[in-house]
Amino acid sequence: MLASLLSATLHGLDGRPIRVEVDVAPGLPGFTIVGLADTALQEARERVRGAIRNSGYEYPPRRITVNLAPAELRKSGASLDLAIALGILVGSEQVNANGLWAVLGELSLGGELRPVPGLLPMVLALSRRRVKRVVVPVGGLAEARLADGIVVVGAATLAEAATLLRESRRGRTRSTPPRVELAADITGNGSADRGHVVNGGSGPGPDLAEVRGQLEARRALELALAGGHCMVMIGPPGSGKTLLARTVPGLLPPLDDDEARLATVIASVSGSGPVTDLVRTRPFRAPHHTISYAAMVGGGPHMSPGEVTLANDGVLFLDELPEFDRATLEALRQPLEDGQVAISRVGRAAVFPARFQLIAAMNPCPCGHAGEGGGRCRCQPGIVERYAGRISGPLRDRMDLWVHMPRVEPAEYVRSAAPEGSVGVAGRIAASRRRQIHRSGHPNSRLSGRALRAACALGPAEQAHAIRLAELEGWSARGIERLLRVARTAADLAGADAVDGSHMDEAARFRSASGARIGYEAVG
Amino acid sequence: MLGVQSLGPLVPRRVAECGGPPATFGAPARAVPVPAPDRPSGEAAALDLAERERWAWVVLLSVSGLGPVSFGALLAAFGSARAVLDAATQADGPGRLLQALADAAFDADDGPDLGLFDTCAAAGNAKDAAAAGRGGPRARQVIGKDLAVRLCEAANGGGAAERVRALGLNVVTLEDAAYPDRLRQVELPPPLLFVRGSVAALNARNAVAVVGTRRPTDMGRLIAGWIGSALARTGVVVVSGLAVGIDGAAHAAVVAEGGRTVAVLGGGHARLFPKAHERLADAIVESGGTVVSELAPETSPSRGTFPRRNRLVSGLSDATVVVEAGRRSGALITAGWALEQGRECFLVPGPFDSPTSAGCHAFLRSFPGQARVVCGVAELIEDLELDGDGAAINDLANEPQSGGPSARPATSRTTPASAPSVGRAALLASLGPAERALAEELARGPATADQLAARTALAGAAVLSALTLLELRGLARGAYGRYSPSGPLASWSGEVGG
Repeated sequence: MLASLLSATLHGLDGRPIRVEVDVAPGLPGFTIVGLADTALQEARERVRGAIRNSGYEYPPRRITVNLAPAELRKSGASLDLAIALGILVGSEQVNANGLWAVLGELSLGGELRPVPGLLPMVLALSRRRVKRVVVPVGGLAEARLADGIVVVGAATLAEAATLLRESRRGRTRSTPPRVELAADITGNGSADRGHVVNGGSGPGPDLAEVRGQLEARRALELALAGGHCMVMIGPPGSGKTLLARTVPGLLPPLDDDEARLATVIASVSGSGPVTDLVRTRPFRAPHHTISYAAMVGGGPHMSPGEVTLANDGVLFLDELPEFDRATLEALRQPLEDGQVAISRVGRAAVFPARFQLIAAMNPCPCGHAGEGGGRCRCQPGIVERYAGRISGPLRDRMDLWVHMPRVEPAEYVRSAAPEGSVGVAGRIAASRRRQIHRSGHPNSRLSGRALRAACALGPAEQAHAIRLAELEGWSARGIERLLRVARTAADLAGADAVDGSHMDEAARFRSASGARIGYEAVG
Repeated sequence: MLGVQSLGPLVPRRVAECGGPPATFGAPARAVPVPAPDRPSGEAAALDLAERERWAWVVLLSVSGLGPVSFGALLAAFGSARAVLDAATQADGPGRLLQALADAAFDADDGPDLGLFDTCAAAGNAKDAAAAGRGGPRARQVIGKDLAVRLCEAANGGGAAERVRALGLNVVTLEDAAYPDRLRQVELPPPLLFVRGSVAALNARNAVAVVGTRRPTDMGRLIAGWIGSALARTGVVVVSGLAVGIDGAAHAAVVAEGGRTVAVLGGGHARLFPKAHERLADAIVESGGTVVSELAPETSPSRGTFPRRNRLVSGLSDATVVVEAGRRSGALITAGWALEQGRECFLVPGPFDSPTSAGCHAFLRSFPGQARVVCGVAELIEDLELDGDGAAINDLANEPQSGGPSARPATSRTTPASAPSVGRAALLASLGPAERALAEELARGPATADQLAARTALAGAAVLSALTLLELRGLARGAYGRYSPSGPLASWSGEVGG
């Protein structure tokens, strides 16, 4: 007999409803899946067979054909396991289906249901299709319930799901398993809206008070985080670049509602663990420099999101910037400009959001000690320039804030008073970000053209000042725009309505380090 | 053992005995000596002829591998550069040129042939250079043959003169009155100089070279700046090699002071090296100084061209000051040349375990009684015994300001350098309180923003905005997060910190 169930697969960041038709017909025993299923899906045959047997049902010794519609869509992942298994049970008349249910989940050989990555967007897609009820693995129940307009019911096993299908009343639900609670616990930082860990396992990080000295870098970081500007830190090993970067998660303002919804979907798709609540923390991603091209921009066999997408609306931190593969770095240029990344492979294409803020750290030279004096740098003169040259001009041009972090002398480290901690700085950053959103709806880093000019409200004196700065540094029109964005953020941090000369001076100072001062001595 | 000795300039040489060149170049020729054919058209034709001869020199000397000796040999054999070019365009040109070159080489076979040695090194062909030095007539002939072929190609190809004109370079030949006298007095002066900027600066009354390592300490950089600006204030032209490090700091200090400085390139003008100093080179020319090279514009700098450049740096100067030099620093070659050329040589000492001063110390030890020690900026100016015409560029009438950390115990010296630079009080008065505090602190030496905040007890934000202002006014300059005084501030910091 023919059974037909609704399920869904993942395509990029979107779920796609899939109709699973199972025909259990007399004939030579066999099991065929048709409809552009990838390897993981073909392996569903083995999982389904084991799960049916080990759940106390009979695996029908007949000819089983599974069709996945629409046929032209390439399907991947294990989210259809449950639908296929239930289809076989219904088709062999061991289970009765009652009402319109959609089912999602991966099966174990023992018949347990496992959550799959991307549960949330799949449930959302079913909801948009006006499906009324959906059965999901209990492990993903909290995540699936974030979707509106659909009744979500959890099942722990294949047998439970079969029971639910038979009953028309609302099935019992299980409480969330303890390991989800654990995952929620380590994000902490005491704040309720800190949400749940989705950022590659990074905790709240150290407090800013632990960073001694580095006045300039602290200021640059405050500017960068307040306005969403890209920033590069240059300094010898041990000067605190990485430590400073690790304070970033504790400084970022929380996500707003729209951003949170998108962040939750991305967290769900990334498969880094079950999501239990709306993600309110801005992501902070710090991939190692050996990262591959596909892992950075996205793609791979399942069109998975890359680091640029996982860092969407948050921070992508690249330590040891020049050590990254050149092609990988160049690939960042387009998302930095467009805020999204389009990935095309044969037969499918996906557009992922990639509105991240790049924060990078690098040594001034291969040995790391250039500029320290006393002959500590062992690099030949030309090597220093070549090292800085590994970062291409166009990428360099997209970095708004450049700051050098000199080595902190032992006496300074020991004697200096504890500097301001994260709480105060985070407060200023959040207040400044609120001003920006209130004024133009975007953080300053995303302003351009007329909106930027309106936001800056330059008077005649300020305009002259901007022109003088641009001539001094030899900037193009784009250079001036970049200067004004950072200047606008400096003004926002100061609570000023209009940008004045001092804000521009500060922006220019952090920007002018970009060309001349890496590796070269400043001239004249 | 000093690196210099093995590198050459101090090795006794008997070039003077080598046949042709001294005869050709020996006496400084004041007037344009091109034999003017006595024709009724007179002066105009003579000038035209002189001009053509000059461009013939340019064509010949643009050939890589042709140095003073071989050029002298060719002139001696053919009478004029135009005659050489004419011969080179003939069918039997290569043969005749080779004969002339080989004759000169054989004449000089009782000692290493400086000309061929240098020129092969210039061509970047160290192996050939070594062969020419050691290998006797046969090796020289092989090299000479290459050279003759290249000469003929140049004579037939042309274009060298156009490139020089396109770059807007002045050409000064050994036969011009404008040729720097100091350089004319050295052994085997370069026949031709390619000059960008003021030709007169090369002939300034006083010129002092300030050279040193390309990787100095912060202190070395500061000292180079102090010396550079002190010299500039006394009206001395500062000569250096436009390299990164000490050379650049010295040039930049002079430019900031509004003085004139001469940069001698280790390559051609079209291949300015290092690229990082392109802006500095422009600034030097704009402020009345000179960028000069003896190499044709398209010559790439190479390992061999820098020692050759160093000979010019010392040759263009009355004295050479080495600020910091490691054991194998090229600055020591310059110092060696200075002694060889009978010029004064000064070295700035450092802590005796400092690797960046080791070369200076070793040099001082190797040449007792010849190399002299620098024990202060004012002392250096005094020791230089400049017979300066006092053409100081700044108004030196300003009295030393009373009070303040920069006040210096009065000394009996009245050399202009010990006078403060113009308008220190005016400069400080033009700054706000925070900037003034930072400026005074910076004048004591380079510091990070944190150190400045700690020493001035100013708030962090105030320090950062004051630093921004000082940077924009060109009074401070940051590199790798460390700020040093710059411009006028650097020039009086010598009096505070020194």
